[in-house]
Amino acid sequence: MITKKILLSFPKMATGKPMAMELIKTYNLDFSILKAMIDDNIKGTLLLEIRGKQTDIDAGIVFLRENQIGVKDVQSMVVVDQKKCVSCGACTAVCAVNALEMDENWSLVHHEDKCLECMLCVKACPMRAIHTVM
Amino acid sequence: MAKTYQQINEKIARGEAVVVTAEEVIDIVKERGLKDAADYVDVVTTATFGPMCSSGAFLNFGHSDPPIRMAEISLNGVAASGGLAAVDTYLGATQPSQDRGIEYGGAHVINDLIAGKEVHLVATSRGTDCYPRKEIDTWVKLEDMNEAYLFNPRNCYQNYNAAINTSSKRIYTYMGILQPNMGNITYSTAGELSPLLNDPLLKTIGMGTRLFFGGAQGYVSWMGTQFNTACERDEKGYPTTSGATLALIGNMKEMNPAYIRGAVYEKYGTSMFVGIGIPIPILNEEMMSFVSVENKDLYTYVFDYSVASGGHPKLKKVSYAELRSGSVDINGKMIKTSPLSSLKVAREIALELNHWIKKGQFFLQEPIQSFPMANALKSLEIKEGEAR
Repeated sequence: MITKKILLSFPKMATGKPMAMELIKTYNLDFSILKAMIDDNIKGTLLLEIRGKQTDIDAGIVFLRENQIGVKDVQSMVVVDQKKCVSCGACTAVCAVNALEMDENWSLVHHEDKCLECMLCVKACPMRAIHTVM
Repeated sequence: MAKTYQQINEKIARGEAVVVTAEEVIDIVKERGLKDAADYVDVVTTATFGPMCSSGAFLNFGHSDPPIRMAEISLNGVAASGGLAAVDTYLGATQPSQDRGIEYGGAHVINDLIAGKEVHLVATSRGTDCYPRKEIDTWVKLEDMNEAYLFNPRNCYQNYNAAINTSSKRIYTYMGILQPNMGNITYSTAGELSPLLNDPLLKTIGMGTRLFFGGAQGYVSWMGTQFNTACERDEKGYPTTSGATLALIGNMKEMNPAYIRGAVYEKYGTSMFVGIGIPIPILNEEMMSFVSVENKDLYTYVFDYSVASGGHPKLKKVSYAELRSGSVDINGKMIKTSPLSSLKVAREIALELNHWIKKGQFFLQEPIQSFPMANALKSLEIKEGEAR
């Protein structure tokens, strides 16, 4: 049993198809939807944390790609630009799961695997050093 | 044995001065004792790097031909004051831009100028007999200006509130985002490394003190605004509330963009991170005692920022060691604590100032005037009717 985060992008033609049901029924995958959105061009984006056997996950991803759905492995949608970050700590104030925290030298560390994608850190960063890949 | 500024400067000139940071000095005092440590150490460097809104730049663009008396001025879309002489202006750090709002403000223009970038200058005027030009649209760089210096009316707060939110709504403040129902606490200080906490009674920091200012050698030019030396103090004299502030001046052309940075506080406004380092001469055992202070002995109060009128209610007195520990107990609940000022960069600044002094590039300046020690804060009364 493994867990991984994947970012799916649905082109207009694929938006609306019951892909999630197929993943559960046919590929025995279990998942949490972390983010879902459809933009003005009816292009959908779905961030999933999927759990299942490696072989089932691989087969599920092949199935998605066969249906014109983009699949990207992601650790976190949140990216910290180290060149802009000054390690002030303002983002850690709003990170409920300590995915952003200060290390023993008061330098910011980003544990991407812990991120719940709430995106509040993006607003909290005074240097605007945090952005999302979505 | 007591030392003088002159004796310390002579040691700096000979390359013999012993210079340590305000963090390093704590263990030195523990190992050697106060008296021996005071003899051994000559200068202790302190520093801070955090948001300081009351900041800005005086700029002189030079005259165009034909000349203009600039009345409405903007730099990259950020309005600057037209209330000075023809081509002088003051650009405030918190002024938002006309197009990007608080996401790009005066502080960002200042950072761009220090980084050597060209900035778009637009100015208009009614035109006068001696200044006939009515508008100008051009690009300016720091090196092309006659003078460009930061003059920050209030920097380097001696101490500051910690903030919490007891309401049921998230609030957006200059103390960062405060989560509802006491979800977090924020604080903003370099604590035991902070300049004015290492000289709580301002015995060595006064008008004329030379310091590290945004990467340049700058000066304390006046007491900072909202200067409050009549504040609450502990038995040794360390302020437990905001305390003193400094007005600083320094040449932008010698500054480093890493130490003067534009900042944005969501739904609040633009601010500026200012890097300051102040050397404290160890003139005697008393000064050594002051600089050996530790976070566990420095206190502030947690204030409720969800109440904006009548002053924020005080919830609890806490030490900076508690705040640095990551959580503080408020009414039996452990609340997460987070800093807002960068200790990491403050440490870099304390070390850089340390190197300047050791290399004989920076000398101590004795204050030409001390600051008043019983200065209280006034508030603004709302009066109605005619002038009286």
